[in-house]
Amino acid sequence: MLLRCCLNRTFWLGFSLSVGLAVYPAAAQPAAQVILLESAVMADGEAIPRDYTPDGRNLSPPLTWGQVPEGTRELAVVCADFGAGNPPPWVHWIIYSIPRTASGLPEGLPITWDQQMPTEISGSIQGLNSWGRPYYRGPAPPTGTPHLYHFTVYAIDAVLGLESGLTREEFLEAVDGHVIGRGELVPVYERFASPE
Amino acid sequence: MTDDDKHQAAGITRRALLRNAGAAGAAAAVGVTDVLVTPASAEAPVEQTRTSADAVEAYEHFTSEEAELLEAIADHLIPSDDEGPGALEARAVRYIDRAIGGALADSIDAYRSGLAAFDRYCRSSRDGSFMELSHRDRTSALIDVETGAATGAGAGFVGSSAAFFAMVRSHVIQGTFSDPFYGGNMNFVGWDLIGYPGVRTAVTENDQRRLEADDLRPYRRSAYEWDEFNKANVSNVRRRGQHAD
Repeated sequence: MLLRCCLNRTFWLGFSLSVGLAVYPAAAQPAAQVILLESAVMADGEAIPRDYTPDGRNLSPPLTWGQVPEGTRELAVVCADFGAGNPPPWVHWIIYSIPRTASGLPEGLPITWDQQMPTEISGSIQGLNSWGRPYYRGPAPPTGTPHLYHFTVYAIDAVLGLESGLTREEFLEAVDGHVIGRGELVPVYERFASPE
Repeated sequence: MTDDDKHQAAGITRRALLRNAGAAGAAAAVGVTDVLVTPASAEAPVEQTRTSADAVEAYEHFTSEEAELLEAIADHLIPSDDEGPGALEARAVRYIDRAIGGALADSIDAYRSGLAAFDRYCRSSRDGSFMELSHRDRTSALIDVETGAATGAGAGFVGSSAAFFAMVRSHVIQGTFSDPFYGGNMNFVGWDLIGYPGVRTAVTENDQRRLEADDLRPYRRSAYEWDEFNKANVSNVRRRGQHAD
């Protein structure tokens, strides 16, 4: 069981990474500079803790980034599942207009309109995920099928003044030509028929 | 961007939206994240406002546990706040309970299984009953039910959790804004919320002007108090113990 699980995750990681790169619009292909994207609670290929999924409290996970390119004026993060959606990806979260001064995103960002963004990311805007909601909703894959979740951070070379409520597609179109750095973190999640 | 999200982005309050849309619009508009005000202590457990003296009223078709949970959900969907009372004060759940005995009789199984599944889901995902959760966790749990994500190991909704949420939402709205004859909209709380001035069989020009100036005195009467609505038939339906449609 454990070996089959590992093999499946390896397959899905490779498959999903290749699909993820293939579906990025050519015009929004990242520049050469790689941003280091990490989280205190999850890592590449490792399971997302349940409190960042609807099996738990469904909080947005904490993220940190480093090696942000010089010339970055603002940042953005998208979480997408390229193994879901018709067509893929299924977008779980999009947040943009993050100030350059931010070194990451704290855990548990707002889920109602009247809650304020934390001071360190004041001005950030949560766009619309595939549920049409302006906040993070975590992984809820079909039982027994592990899915990979691409957390991608973008470094933007201008303060674009983006309006609220953008989808991932609208965001990528808006930043076309302005992405000077990109980083990715790809954890996995699987639901089980009985509690783990 | 949906209209709902635009309203959220613009900071328009839910109550303002309900007033502008009327009950029909509210039926399409009320979602979980349209809770108006998040308490400063959003992470703290919600303070229980009921006293033992005025605890859950006796319902005909719900157990006390089911009723307590359903009242908490209704209170979260259309909460009372600085602008006035909400679904709880409107006794929307009493409307649902009465309707289960008549027009909504086919929904009783869906309520039983759905409320039980929702309770299991809250306990398995957030380590407590819905009533024990913080305001934020209550909102988050309802969002997961609304979006159909509450299908994890601990829940066991029959079908999609989204169907259960849609049913409860629809009935809470009905119970808050429908004619008080049906058991909800207590003291015309719902009609006051959306600025509906009450049933009038004739509207004068002066009434219309006052209405447009938001100065029309509410006429708080059930439609069934009007002779034009065949009061005798309504009374007969009540005597037979049936729920009038």
